[in-house]
Amino acid sequence: MALNYDPEVIGRVFETTDPVEVTAEQINRFCGAIGETNPLYTDEKAAKGGPYGGIVAPPSFAVTFRNGRHFHEHVPRMGRGGFDAGKDIEFAAPIRPGDMITLSSHVKEIYEKTGRSGTMAFVVVRTTLKNQRGEVAAHIDHRFMSRI
Amino acid sequence: MSKTFESISVGEELGPLELFVSRDQCRNYARTCAMEAPRFMDDEGAKLERLPGMILPGNMSLGLITRLLTDWIGSGPARIARIGATYRVPVQPDHTLTIHGFITHIHPENRSIEIDLWLENEEADRLVTGAATVEFTK
Repeated sequence: MALNYDPEVIGRVFETTDPVEVTAEQINRFCGAIGETNPLYTDEKAAKGGPYGGIVAPPSFAVTFRNGRHFHEHVPRMGRGGFDAGKDIEFAAPIRPGDMITLSSHVKEIYEKTGRSGTMAFVVVRTTLKNQRGEVAAHIDHRFMSRI
Repeated sequence: MSKTFESISVGEELGPLELFVSRDQCRNYARTCAMEAPRFMDDEGAKLERLPGMILPGNMSLGLITRLLTDWIGSGPARIARIGATYRVPVQPDHTLTIHGFITHIHPENRSIEIDLWLENEEADRLVTGAATVEFTK
């Protein structure tokens, strides 16, 4: 069954969020929530002598940024329900306390896949995180799955 | 002692990292990350979403498997360049989860390695699978 969607949605950037400030407190709370104890992320003194010259956010902190209020309006719905099926992240510049992060997103790909439990539609949304200097912090591909 | 690129070989295992994830830890992650959907907060909320019980946010599982890498790298001269995770089966709290990894490829030309990762439950069901690229700076 062919998926029904407007092909022009692919690649069109639909969202650039307002900058969000990263705080040391947020990083600290996030480390606590996943049990991260690496001193590069948790110990200012130890991190100063490390490769980043100070505290940085642990890699998976990148997925905590909200995509913005219009995100779901622009992501095509392809079937019943919907689940977060996974993420693929490419890391570039580290995220540091004091960084102002913006997100821009577009639909990268839509495809279907048939498995033992039936046919599923996948919508891949690519989000790019940039800091206040315009440096890319990460590219995140969000894979949303729904049954069709 | 820090890990060095030269000391690594294909087939080397990372971990395993064994973790008991409680309901409170799951709720704490959801609140910390502003992901307070009912399925992440309690069984009643999850049932409203037609799930058998409370589950961990997929992003929390991603955070846990990433910890295997950050523990392994320590403060060594390496960084995670890429990580991907597939949330195959919902992960439930109040279980002991074990995270495994092993090195599948070594690329001397750019001093990077590839690592397969997975998170499993007590029955060794692979609930989350993934792969990562780690780059060594020296």
